[in-house]
Amino acid sequence: MDEAAAPVPRPRRGPLGPAVRRALLAGLASLVLFWRILRANVLSLVGFVLVAIICLTALVVVVAPHLLVPYGPTQITSETQNWQPPSWQHPFGTDGNSYDIYSNVMLALPLDLGIGIFIAGISLLGGGALGLVAGYWDRPRTLGGATSVVILRITDIFLAFPSLILALAISVSLGRGVWQTILAVTITWWPYYVRLVRGEVLAVKHLPYVSAARAAGVKDGRIVLRHILRNVLEPVVVYFTLDIGTVLVTFSTIGFVAHAIPYPSSTPEWGSMISYYQGNGLITAYPWTVLAPGAAIFITVLAFSLLGDGLRDVLDPRSRRILAGYGRGTPGGSSEEGTAAPAPATGAAGPAAAPAEGGGG
Amino acid sequence: MTDPVLSIERLSVDYEVGAGTFHALADVSLEVEPGHVVGIVGETGCGKSTLAQAIPRLLPEPPARYRGGRIVFQGTDLVTFPKWKLPTLRGTGIGMIFQEPLNSLNPSFRIFDQVAEAVRIRQLRERGRAPAVRDEGLPFDYSRPPPQPGAGESLAKVVVPSGAAEAALRRSTRHRADVRDEVLGYLRLVRINDPETILELYPHELSGGMRQRIMIAMALSEKPALLIADEPTSALDVTIQAQVLTLMKELIDEVRASILFISHDLGVIAETADEVGVMYAGHLVEFGPVADVFEHPSHPYTRALLRAAPRRYKSEAPLDSIPGSVPNLSRPPSGCPFHPRCVLARPRCKDPPGPPLDPAPPPAVAAHRTACYYAGEVALLP
Repeated sequence: MDEAAAPVPRPRRGPLGPAVRRALLAGLASLVLFWRILRANVLSLVGFVLVAIICLTALVVVVAPHLLVPYGPTQITSETQNWQPPSWQHPFGTDGNSYDIYSNVMLALPLDLGIGIFIAGISLLGGGALGLVAGYWDRPRTLGGATSVVILRITDIFLAFPSLILALAISVSLGRGVWQTILAVTITWWPYYVRLVRGEVLAVKHLPYVSAARAAGVKDGRIVLRHILRNVLEPVVVYFTLDIGTVLVTFSTIGFVAHAIPYPSSTPEWGSMISYYQGNGLITAYPWTVLAPGAAIFITVLAFSLLGDGLRDVLDPRSRRILAGYGRGTPGGSSEEGTAAPAPATGAAGPAAAPAEGGGG
Repeated sequence: MTDPVLSIERLSVDYEVGAGTFHALADVSLEVEPGHVVGIVGETGCGKSTLAQAIPRLLPEPPARYRGGRIVFQGTDLVTFPKWKLPTLRGTGIGMIFQEPLNSLNPSFRIFDQVAEAVRIRQLRERGRAPAVRDEGLPFDYSRPPPQPGAGESLAKVVVPSGAAEAALRRSTRHRADVRDEVLGYLRLVRINDPETILELYPHELSGGMRQRIMIAMALSEKPALLIADEPTSALDVTIQAQVLTLMKELIDEVRASILFISHDLGVIAETADEVGVMYAGHLVEFGPVADVFEHPSHPYTRALLRAAPRRYKSEAPLDSIPGSVPNLSRPPSGCPFHPRCVLARPRCKDPPGPPLDPAPPPAVAAHRTACYYAGEVALLP
């Protein structure tokens, strides 16, 4: 930064120094841009903040559990403290074994969050890749067309089952356990991504800019990865973010219905907690036992849904520019970075920057 | 006379769709000489765009099928060219400018990234990292001094990758500054003012005319031996159309590429082209020097087309129209495709295989060819 302030003319090319500085400034500028876009929509800002808090909490629970989790998952707090309603000592109360419910809910957070992201992520990568292939190479009477047909018919087979029932059946046949349940849900989850990505690819691949790229001599693989993937990414990432919540609900449902995950155990999970506490009319006598894990699921799903909506704006270059300029009346605030950066990326932003017909040949 | 850059010999292309087979191109033969601009005119659906996309094999195959003929580009037959090598042919060999400038740029990337992609492809091929169709030097002369400097920027600053610049490219293709300089050079070449700002913008922030300039810059930056312009000005409004056309005419002089210019606008063709081909129902019915074809049309369809075009913005009389309608290409008329609508038609016109593309009768020049048995009578029509 000191060198940039010096009054020497800007170095156009050079060793790593200016390049690294430029990259740092570009990163900073994109963070500022990200913030401006989120700020423009209150709900997506709430979603972003909630997701950030949830992720940070999960991180703390994993790295330094003693900060947030006072008791172990199956630690008997005191012989006389079973079925305690919420109190300062036990914020979410205790259960019949005198286990602290707050501690169990907190300990379940990293697991449930990880499960949501993992299952949706594997489905996104696997299903998305199959969808790209099936969407781009779909010409009948070619090798690609045959591949596409095979992928799509297998997808259809999976989609023909009600996914929750199928996941339940697989889960039951695999036996109890976290990994078995993850496998069961993942097996039923990827076909939706194949359909989604394929549909988006079909819509994008006949646009003239794809033909233009082919005419310019760009190879198929690069067209798919650069021109098509980038333009189908927006709805897919939005769907993925919303889907994290859906996965969580499904996973908890399987935990609830099939008792797929043992509880109480060293690895508590929200769905299995609800399942465990709701039986035998306990839910009416001790409602707080179910309320806490239920609220945890609700808030997590809500946070990702709100964030997913906001991401749509972040990913679309059109709304990005408009929202970034939104509420920026005077060139103050963070535009210092803009003037310091060699590239006019932030300086030229704003809807007014669209130039008139230039030229005069 | 040198060898033609492109020579199409009796090319026939079908579309095989559920409803049947559409004969989109039937026995089309034409040649593009080095440095010449060949215009193709015809009505909507006559096969102009199919021809444009058939040459660099951009047509989806299937449903498109090459039924016969050859497309000889710099000595190579493209019809039998292996499919997996096609990317090497496109871009550096044959460049294209498309009809819809609004959608021809990827909305997710800045202008710089789009032009840089084309520049990098060419750099890689020049350095032998990616195969090219041709091995010998540049197809045409970019280093020639421009006829007159354009507005704003001096054209002398256009980066010519020869000598020192070439050596710099050889050091590292990934050198961002080099690519950037070259991209800026091509943006200046297409007369874009303030290219540094334009680089950072997204396509939706530019006007249609600007986008079409970017497309032209992208096509030229790969230094194609043949540039195919498929109705490059049709989607633009008239003033912008005039600007882009002026630009293209200047660039034709500067870069000396061979151009296949496809348009339904006779005026545009008359202004830009050296030779013109008239297409009807997938057939090339007349071909010759543009002035000669427009002055002495020797095919009844060409004559009717010229009479149907408004002239001089005066409405002296109602415009002529051609009676009848364009034939269904899945069941084209036998013999001459125009005979059901032709005033000169006689029984012989129905007999297959139809009239060949023969030299037109005088006063047409020798290079002027027409596909009509009664070409001599066309000039006598009222």
